Amino acid sequence: MADPGWPGCAKGLKGVLLDLCGVLYDSGEGDGVAIPGSVEALKKLKTSDLKLRFCTNESQAARETFVAKLQRLAFDVSVSEVFSPAPAAVAALKDRRLRPHLLVCDGLLPEFDSVDKTNPNCVVIGDAAEKFSYQNLNEAFRVLLELEKPVLFALGQGKYYKEIDGLKLDVGVYMKALEYACDVKAEVFGKPSPVFFQSALSDMGLQPHEVLMIGDDLVNDVGGAQRCGIKGVQVRTGKYRPSDERHPTVMADGTVDNLAQAVDMILNHRH
Amino acid sequence: MAGRRALKAVLIDLSGTLHIEDSAVPGAQDALNRLRQASVAVKFVTNTTKESKRNLLERLHGLDFNVQEKEIFTSLNAARSLLEQKQHRPLLLVEDSALEDFTGIDTSEPNAVVVGLAPDHFSYQTLNKAFRMILDGAPLIAIHKARYYKRKDGLALGPGPFVTGLEYAADCKSTVVGKPEETFFTQALSDMGCSPDEAVMIGDDARDDVGGAQNAGMLGILVRTGKYRKGDEHKIRPPPHLTCDSFPDAVEHILKNLL
Repeated sequence: MADPGWPGCAKGLKGVLLDLCGVLYDSGEGDGVAIPGSVEALKKLKTSDLKLRFCTNESQAARETFVAKLQRLAFDVSVSEVFSPAPAAVAALKDRRLRPHLLVCDGLLPEFDSVDKTNPNCVVIGDAAEKFSYQNLNEAFRVLLELEKPVLFALGQGKYYKEIDGLKLDVGVYMKALEYACDVKAEVFGKPSPVFFQSALSDMGLQPHEVLMIGDDLVNDVGGAQRCGIKGVQVRTGKYRPSDERHPTVMADGTVDNLAQAVDMILNHRH
Repeated sequence: MAGRRALKAVLIDLSGTLHIEDSAVPGAQDALNRLRQASVAVKFVTNTTKESKRNLLERLHGLDFNVQEKEIFTSLNAARSLLEQKQHRPLLLVEDSALEDFTGIDTSEPNAVVVGLAPDHFSYQTLNKAFRMILDGAPLIAIHKARYYKRKDGLALGPGPFVTGLEYAADCKSTVVGKPEETFFTQALSDMGCSPDEAVMIGDDARDDVGGAQNAGMLGILVRTGKYRKGDEHKIRPPPHLTCDSFPDAVEHILKNLL
């Protein structure tokens, strides 16, 4: 059977994966702001027969916190629908008996409450934002240098994201800095790691070809999904830049103005 | 070795080669004086991100080295040359102590980013500012890309990790101006009226001093002082022209064999 492509593929879809920041809302002071049309679009998706999960690389706040923020912005989202890097990293830490030195925002710390952090034997780096000082990065660097086999976990590998007042450096930049300094390769949790997408798929009980990912990050959302056999559509909101449409290695299955347009196209093709 | 070259210039590294912190390498002052009596030009070349020429000169004079300011060429000076040549107005992420080497450079409405080692300036906010400029097309200039350096309280991150992070963020490649870049060595030789095959470099860093110089067409002499570790001479290809115990031995070799 010929691949129907986007938006023809909407007919056979059984589920949708949504990125949060840059698709539902733009972050910034306070709760940030909802992207116009996204609250309505999410409602429409939720009342359709499509399964829905949220795949976010949010690593500044614990799930409870950012889900509450989304609810205040009038989005219908619950914690159980959200896949984020920190819980995935916590599972790996426990599995491998690793004790992390954490370079993350204070808001994310509750996710690591159940993890032994004494006498660290690995470093976990998240989007620490203002906490990415020279001093803090140096501390993480020294922990890694003292380890016989340095282990670095990164909660995502994004280059930058958009806040209301402009683009901001993301965790990937500092991950690269530590990789270079210590000659290590980080293990990435969250998008674009295939394991991360797989965990959302198996939670929905769906196959890759039955699912569509919608995000604003061409490489991590769209490219990451595509590597798992999931179609990826990019929205022209959030961190989108026109040059994304001429990217040398990743080509989205479709590019739409915003989530509202994506949802309308999907639902129209199903009727 | 191929036929003798008519040696015209000797480039000499500072820290680790002439002195280790605040002590001169034994015999180095006399050796430098002997070299000066021969008919070769001498220049002192170093990768520094925080010390101005004046700072370096003061330390060398304090250790009784016969050195003049115009004979010093640093990675900061190389950055300045590049800025002047391209007429860039830089955002300077360098320590305040290095700023005097950029006196007179227009830094208003910056359109280039220069990254040295500036722990005080490597805040999230400043790096964001630098990142946004680079994304808008400003070139990224790295004084050098060292991974880390030694501080009194232990090892600390060098400029390299931050340059690498910015390269990743903005999908760009930095222009590195310090050792071991070929342009650094050719710039150092440019006012001495000689070509790389008429020059020799003496240093304690196999990769940055010796490898870099030889890659630029010069001879390289590795000294077993400073940061030298056993086996360093095997880490570069081609191997050093000569590996010897310390700077005075290097000078003896030059006087006996290269002139």
